[in-house]
Amino acid sequence: MEKVKSLVLAGLLAFAPALAMNGPALAQQNAAVAAPAAGNETTAAADSASNAAAPAAEAAPAEKVAAPPRMKPTLGIGMPMPGEITLQKQFSPTGHTARWLHDVMLLPIITIISIFVLVLMLYVMVRFRRSANPTPSKTSHNTVIEVIWTVVPVVILLVIAVPSIGLLADQYKPAPKDALTVKVTGYQWYWGYEYPDNGVPEFVSNMLPKEKAEANGEPYLLAPDNRLVLPVGRPIKLIITGADVIHSFAVPSLWVKMDAVPGRLNEKSFTIEKPGVYYGQCSELCGARHGFMPIAIEALEPAQFDQWVLSQGGKLKGAGTATTAQPAAPAPAKI
Amino acid sequence: MTTITADHHGDHAHEHHDADHKPAFFQRWFMSTNHKDIGTLYLIFAIIAGIIGGAISGLMRAELAAPGIQYLQTWAQFSDGPEATLDQAYHLWNVLITAHGLIMVFFMVMPAMIGGFGNWFVPIMIGAPDMAFPRMNNISFWLLIPAFALLLGSTFFPGGTGNGAGTGWTVYAPLSTSGSAGPAVDMAILSLHIAGASSILGAINFITTILNMRAPGMTLHKMPLFVWSVLVTAFLLLLALPVLAAAITMLLTDRNFGTTFYDAAGGGDPELYQHLFWFFGHPEVYIMILPGFGIISQIVSTFSRKPVFGYLGMAYAMVAIGVVGFVVWAHHMFTTGMSVNVKMYFTAATMVIAVPTGIKIFSWIATIWGGSITYKTPMVWALGFIFLFTVGGVTGVVLANGGVDDVLHDTYYVVAHFHYVLSLGAVFGLFAGFYYWFPKMSGRMYNEFLGHLHFWVFFVGVNMLFFPMHFLGLSGMPRRYPDYPEAFAYWNKVASHGYEIMAAGMLIFFVNLVWSLVAGKKAEGNPWGEGATTLEWTLSSPPPFHQFETLPVID
Amino acid sequence: MASLPPSPFDRDRRNRRTMIGMAIVGLVMLGLGFASVPLYRIFCERTGFGGTTQRASADVLVREAVGHRMSIRFDSNVAPGMPWQFRPEHPTQTVTVGARNMAIFLARNMSDKPVTGTASFNVTPLQAGAYFTKIQCFCFTQQTLQPGEAVRMPVIYYVDPKILTDSDNKDTQEITLSYTFYPVEQDKKPS
Repeated sequence: MEKVKSLVLAGLLAFAPALAMNGPALAQQNAAVAAPAAGNETTAAADSASNAAAPAAEAAPAEKVAAPPRMKPTLGIGMPMPGEITLQKQFSPTGHTARWLHDVMLLPIITIISIFVLVLMLYVMVRFRRSANPTPSKTSHNTVIEVIWTVVPVVILLVIAVPSIGLLADQYKPAPKDALTVKVTGYQWYWGYEYPDNGVPEFVSNMLPKEKAEANGEPYLLAPDNRLVLPVGRPIKLIITGADVIHSFAVPSLWVKMDAVPGRLNEKSFTIEKPGVYYGQCSELCGARHGFMPIAIEALEPAQFDQWVLSQGGKLKGAGTATTAQPAAPAPAKI
Repeated sequence: MTTITADHHGDHAHEHHDADHKPAFFQRWFMSTNHKDIGTLYLIFAIIAGIIGGAISGLMRAELAAPGIQYLQTWAQFSDGPEATLDQAYHLWNVLITAHGLIMVFFMVMPAMIGGFGNWFVPIMIGAPDMAFPRMNNISFWLLIPAFALLLGSTFFPGGTGNGAGTGWTVYAPLSTSGSAGPAVDMAILSLHIAGASSILGAINFITTILNMRAPGMTLHKMPLFVWSVLVTAFLLLLALPVLAAAITMLLTDRNFGTTFYDAAGGGDPELYQHLFWFFGHPEVYIMILPGFGIISQIVSTFSRKPVFGYLGMAYAMVAIGVVGFVVWAHHMFTTGMSVNVKMYFTAATMVIAVPTGIKIFSWIATIWGGSITYKTPMVWALGFIFLFTVGGVTGVVLANGGVDDVLHDTYYVVAHFHYVLSLGAVFGLFAGFYYWFPKMSGRMYNEFLGHLHFWVFFVGVNMLFFPMHFLGLSGMPRRYPDYPEAFAYWNKVASHGYEIMAAGMLIFFVNLVWSLVAGKKAEGNPWGEGATTLEWTLSSPPPFHQFETLPVID
Repeated sequence: MASLPPSPFDRDRRNRRTMIGMAIVGLVMLGLGFASVPLYRIFCERTGFGGTTQRASADVLVREAVGHRMSIRFDSNVAPGMPWQFRPEHPTQTVTVGARNMAIFLARNMSDKPVTGTASFNVTPLQAGAYFTKIQCFCFTQQTLQPGEAVRMPVIYYVDPKILTDSDNKDTQEITLSYTFYPVEQDKKPS
């Protein structure tokens, strides 16, 4: 990890002045173009640099509304727990339905089937060992039993299929018109977030180095510098694409996983029930640093979310959705 | 199944001098046209590939034993030179997972199951003197050598961030096209081409042999289930592998000749590659497991001293699995963005496969029911297979649910699932078959105690290795990660200890193998007694170099 | 099965016949593998699979479904290495289902060289692809921009009123139309 740290530092020194000159409005293009063109090391540096520009922007006098303080993650919410043997606690309506399907239907059914097979096997193994049953029977057909073990699994599968298909219909129900739309772009190897309706231009989200994450009290490898900030209780529609290769945007505690495919758009709708920090990780092999582009959603109460939007120089929904989305907003300021 | 009495008066004793005339060493092993010798070559090859693939998984488990990057950067110095960067170390991780997957699928399980046991026993079991095309059989085997060499060699050529092909065994575009510059990925693709060609030739050979070379009286419905399983597998190979060949050929042209089959920039679609890959990839998992089904059926019947229960049901369940296996591929793509009705179809279709699989499980148990079981090593492995395959199968039903897969896709739950059906399914089938046929192939008995010990150590090891991966997957750990948050440390540590136990089990296997070959008791023609009814047990152990010069008649 | 064993000659002939048959099966599958490229495209175009939009000529007449409004969102991307700025003039439009609408995308070549681009596109929700019909689009052809040149690029489209009766789309209230612009390289021919 030492190496990464020194790279980041070098990157800061090398790129910070250049970035300041370009101005943050071009950050989107910068992020998109710089990534594949430059070698890996320079990419890392450039990314860190654009984040490093944030504190400067925060101090700028143009900023009128202060961003809400960075939320502290709560242990056991929106993250895996040591030694955990279950699905993560869910914080979205589809998450509850899906977890119910898994915990109440699927898991008991598969456990019972496995134990049934095991018991059956132990019974025949003991009952029909050579010393207990020296003369084997010659039975090799029994139509009744064969029909039973064909029909019973069919019935079990039907019992599973009905709620399963219902869950799919629920999960893929398109978001209503008033949903908050956020554009998510996967890059090698970071995420970009943009709020087209609120005029918040794209900002990027890189993994926090170990020291920084620990200092913040956040889990290393799950915590990024800039989080995707979303409101609680309001339907959210993520429109997701990839810039270079396929990535996958995944947040287990919200039951969200959708591939970010270059050249095409996917959408994913969900609603978050409680304020909190929900972590996730890239879930489609995307190259060397596939394991190092985490996701964090910070879910805020609607009023706080509005405050955050204003702090980013954005507009609240309704104030300017039909106008062009090219505000001269400063890059997002977090950390 | 009908009892088979073979007319084998000509096979030993009388014509001994003729049937046992073997060519000189070079001619015998390098230009072989003898199905048993080629089968032996395949088995040796699979064991070597298995050692390499297994060693790679050992590297992976060592790295994953604790959070943080432990050894990767040191290892990267071997493939990327002393100046290896951290990114190159991460790339090496992707090279390791890719190599492990490709080696185990294409160079271990397939050669052992189809090339090894298929070659050895399909001709004997149907009463044929050899395969239909003995020379083509030889080509099939020798194509594997350059294929394997290309794959191993690719580790030392640039493949993007570092040396080697780090695309995953699925070789998804665009990571495998624009995302991996350098010849490593081309070499890996070419390796797949050659291995695929080898398998297609093998498949044609098996189909022809089974359809045309059966001894008089050996009707399709009298064939042993192992032969049925190889027949279905050969058809799956023949139908699925050419699609893979087409898909990866287009990858090659996209990489090197500027075509844009999978590149949105030129009107292509990266999703098309995934559809093509999984159209091959899903039947491929049945290609790996079906011969195992066949082996287990033979063994369970032999050691229960009972004919297989529901023979026709068993045979046609395999056919059904093969057919349905071709129309469920997109369940590997539930998170790629498919409309909801497509997901519903693939959810329902996938679940259907559970029905014929269930028929097989219950038929095996019914075969044992009423039997008179002797617990020889092959039987113990077969019983282990039945239970562990059930566990792997039921987690497949969980993953089949498109809505649930949204959180489990690409997590360790998937890794646990497919290792239960492959590492604990196919591999248990391989060991079961190996112990079952070892006396026949080598003419010597293995050590029964070491065989049982191998089973128990391996059984404990692999369960400790793979069962915790279910937990890791449920709590969200993604696949193909060289490092993980602190929270996943516990079960990863347990899994890595499981690997150590499994490796100890493998050590016992090799001790047993060497000991048996050197000092094993001489095996009779049929060491298993009255339960062993298939034709290979009517021959001497090992069988004469040329068997069935007078065809056996089956009544 | 015949009771007499087949003569080796017969068997060799039958084996050859089977082998040729099976080789043909393999070749057909190989051919299907390659044929899947155009077949997949046709399949997507016909069914709107993967959010593939439909295309109609200008003289097609569609009845407006008066009173049924739908929101259309526009999304724009430029590929890595594409020196363009590219964005919709308005992020969303509210339209009447069946009515013909025009949306404008703004593109500017930020480099000092002429750059030709081509766009890939799809709509979400994916099941709306079969009903989103374009009459005219900059994405049908390649676009060349001179250094620093800025253009307004129109898309003329309508939402097929049949969407109102499709149960898969009963919850669809907003359709997002997405474009990604790629540079056209000399050696990259459309497949």
